[in-house]
Amino acid sequence: MTSLPAWLTDESLSAEIVPLLERRSEESLEQLAAEAQAITLRRFGRIISLYAPLYLSNFCSSGCAYCGFASDRSSPRRKLEIDEIKKELGAMKAIGIGDVLLLTGERTTAVGFDYLRRAVEVAAGLMPRVAVEAFPMTVAEYRALAECGCTAVTIYQETYDPEQYRKLHRWGPKKNFIERLETPERALEGGIRSVGIGALLGLSEPVAEAGALFRHARHLCRTYWKAGVSVSFPRIQPQEGGYQPAFPVDDRFLARMICAFRVGLPDIDLVLSTRESPLFRDGMAGLGITRMSIASRTTVGGYHDTDNAGSQQFEVSDNRTAEAFCQALRTKNLEPVFKNWDSAYNGPVHKEEVTCH
Amino acid sequence: MDSLQLGSYTFSSRLILGTGKFSSTKAMVEAIKASGTQLVTVALRRFNRDRMEDDLFGPLSEIGGITLMPNTSGAATAIEAVRAAHISRDLSGSPFVKVEIHPNPHHLMPDPIETWEACRILVRDGFIVMPYIPADPVLARRLEDIGCASVMPLGSAIGSGQGLSTAEMVRIIIRDSAIPVIVDAGLRSPSEACASMEMGCSAVLVNSAVAVAGDPAAMASAFARAVEAGLQARRAGLMPRSGMAVATSPLTSFLGRSS
Repeated sequence: MTSLPAWLTDESLSAEIVPLLERRSEESLEQLAAEAQAITLRRFGRIISLYAPLYLSNFCSSGCAYCGFASDRSSPRRKLEIDEIKKELGAMKAIGIGDVLLLTGERTTAVGFDYLRRAVEVAAGLMPRVAVEAFPMTVAEYRALAECGCTAVTIYQETYDPEQYRKLHRWGPKKNFIERLETPERALEGGIRSVGIGALLGLSEPVAEAGALFRHARHLCRTYWKAGVSVSFPRIQPQEGGYQPAFPVDDRFLARMICAFRVGLPDIDLVLSTRESPLFRDGMAGLGITRMSIASRTTVGGYHDTDNAGSQQFEVSDNRTAEAFCQALRTKNLEPVFKNWDSAYNGPVHKEEVTCH
Repeated sequence: MDSLQLGSYTFSSRLILGTGKFSSTKAMVEAIKASGTQLVTVALRRFNRDRMEDDLFGPLSEIGGITLMPNTSGAATAIEAVRAAHISRDLSGSPFVKVEIHPNPHHLMPDPIETWEACRILVRDGFIVMPYIPADPVLARRLEDIGCASVMPLGSAIGSGQGLSTAEMVRIIIRDSAIPVIVDAGLRSPSEACASMEMGCSAVLVNSAVAVAGDPAAMASAFARAVEAGLQARRAGLMPRSGMAVATSPLTSFLGRSS
């Protein structure tokens, strides 16, 4: 295997947060939460930016042990055709969504780059902000997506432990740890404006995982000074494969981890999805978390055509409607914001800016 | 002069308010009204014609007595800022633009090179151009030379609440500028707004300090009064600052007297 990048093992990059994660007392968590809340309020104010995922397809060529869409699962495979994508996006717009995350599995013949690019083009014509969470691509492919209006790319490393990674990714292109690790950099090299990273919590020892994730964020911010970097905190949920997490992460540790990231990375978006329960989401909104998914479907489609959506990639814990979730945020004196971007700013970011003489 | 002159527009209020970060549109509107501000900045990002309850432009356009100053927050380059300014003018009808170009989306520091370039084009295109800039006296002069209506140096980083950490540079900008100098970003308390006005600023722009206050409307009102107080104090003539005690009765008045 190619050697690991220096940042992954340079523990000085995460020295400030690891001690915060290793503490266990109630008092230390409360103090950390107070600090995280103050930083969040100062930097982001009282708003929570909202987005929703749209699964384009559940075709997949990889065999990830923890995933409901792995290629050995029995669920029927489906992909949205372009006119279906338009209808799904129309249904999402109808509930106010202005920020969509398009998802696919690993690259297959049925769902490859050309299909994804067309989906981005269609979405960018309807939504101010379009992000993609799909298979790793080349720099040229990312550039083409940026030119079609893709603002952001989300790619989770799943686990930063190479040995665990090897065991869990049983076959397919996703087996390549280093290729996946370098994907955010290829996206940014291609002019994608913002990248989202994360570890699927539960797959590996959580303090080590959090430290590596933090180092990854620091490395990206330091290397790509114009890049937006966000960090998500997905925790493994029940799925068709029945995988049970080897290192379960409880609510207290997850809350501690999010607060520690806010203290260590005061300016970046921290993201929490509907994988988490209403109680946990409401509690963490504004407590480090600044960006949240809403009214999510983890089936293929499912916003417009609810009958043929099929099985879920994983079980959603927060099933509240958009309006019910917004009301919960307002109760906390937080404003749900459906549009916090404008298509005027879409297009690749250039390393050397071209001025408009 | 009792009013703030920006392009062909005249304002009696010297407080400009930002509209981001509020807990609700209602809280924002109440703060604007309580502040008595006449100039309000709003990001194109927050114009939302698809979901009216999420839109800031609609509620702002219904408040009487204020002028909107769209801003280009989100732009990373001159090209993007120019594009956003034109879209914003088409949507709002306002000739004002606050040029905000921050290529790093985390610390949001303004890019001086791209800002100068965008301002040059937007002045040519007939906008009243108000650039948000680092507190750099040379850049400020260069922006004045190309026709900007004001310069808006940062007091400290956006949302930091660190106050007027750039005071020395802002003083030089004020001394050397013939256009209004407006401190923008970083102010935490009304006393800092007051100090900015005492120092010679023509106005101050505040957002976070009002938006995240426990009572935004009351804080907006406090800022308005602080700005007034600072301006009044400057006009009244501040006592010179000195490093040592000064006797109230002259010590050397005996010199030259006939004995």
